[in-house]
Amino acid sequence: MTTDLAGPPHLQVRLFAGLREQAGWGERHLALHEPATPDAHNGAPPPTAAQLWQRLGLGPWPAGVRVAVNREFAEPGRILAAGDEVAYLPPITGG
Amino acid sequence: MADPSSPLRESSTTLSIALEAWPFDPFAVLRPWSTGSAAAAEAHFIGRVRGWSAAGEPLAALELEHYPGMTEAQLERLAAAAAARHAVRAVLVRHRVGRVQPGEAIVLVAVAADRRGPAQRCCQELLEALKHDAPFWKKEVGVAGQGRWVDGNTPLEEPAPPGQGTQTIRTA
Repeated sequence: MTTDLAGPPHLQVRLFAGLREQAGWGERHLALHEPATPDAHNGAPPPTAAQLWQRLGLGPWPAGVRVAVNREFAEPGRILAAGDEVAYLPPITGG
Repeated sequence: MADPSSPLRESSTTLSIALEAWPFDPFAVLRPWSTGSAAAAEAHFIGRVRGWSAAGEPLAALELEHYPGMTEAQLERLAAAAAARHAVRAVLVRHRVGRVQPGEAIVLVAVAADRRGPAQRCCQELLEALKHDAPFWKKEVGVAGQGRWVDGNTPLEEPAPPGQGTQTIRTA
């Protein structure tokens, strides 16, 4: 098995505004399961959006951050699926 | 089945939603939208960028970041929901993205309806909804070039000074 995009199921992760600047990146592809664990092979459930945040190594869950999955708002507890686009959105300041 | 004689319409609202990457003239947008409208009532809101930051310092510009694809879809969802709640005829939304100078229009919301009540309520409700639920992020750029992400929306109304009963409502 390879670890490139044609290999295990992947997620697209996006950060915006202050989160993007703090992280130093705005978009990444990650494996659905932690590559260092055998989850992908032992039937473990895929991560939630909140669990995926922990994997990003960007510190504790920031106050006021909302989640979007496939460009619609979702709860942090949303269970992710292969191919999902997961975005972490700082507090919105439009209008 | 709705009474066919009822003035309420749930699915015939015309939505016009767009992001503007460059300065736009809200009146030039409104003119063709409004001309020939059969609606008896229209409510319009134009929000412009203030010349000072949330901290009260001079502002060179606002930089508006958005989530391409989601922002447009979310504006459509919010406009359709507000339009259905108030049974209005037409809704128009324009919102700037990119660098916006003080005094430039940043948002335009217009609603056409049969009565002023639904038009005004829908316009205000949609404006508040998009300020909180459409993914836009403002960065204030100071005159020295320093940037700071805005961490919350301005309140709907200006706080009344102590001991004063009246207050002025500012835009945006």
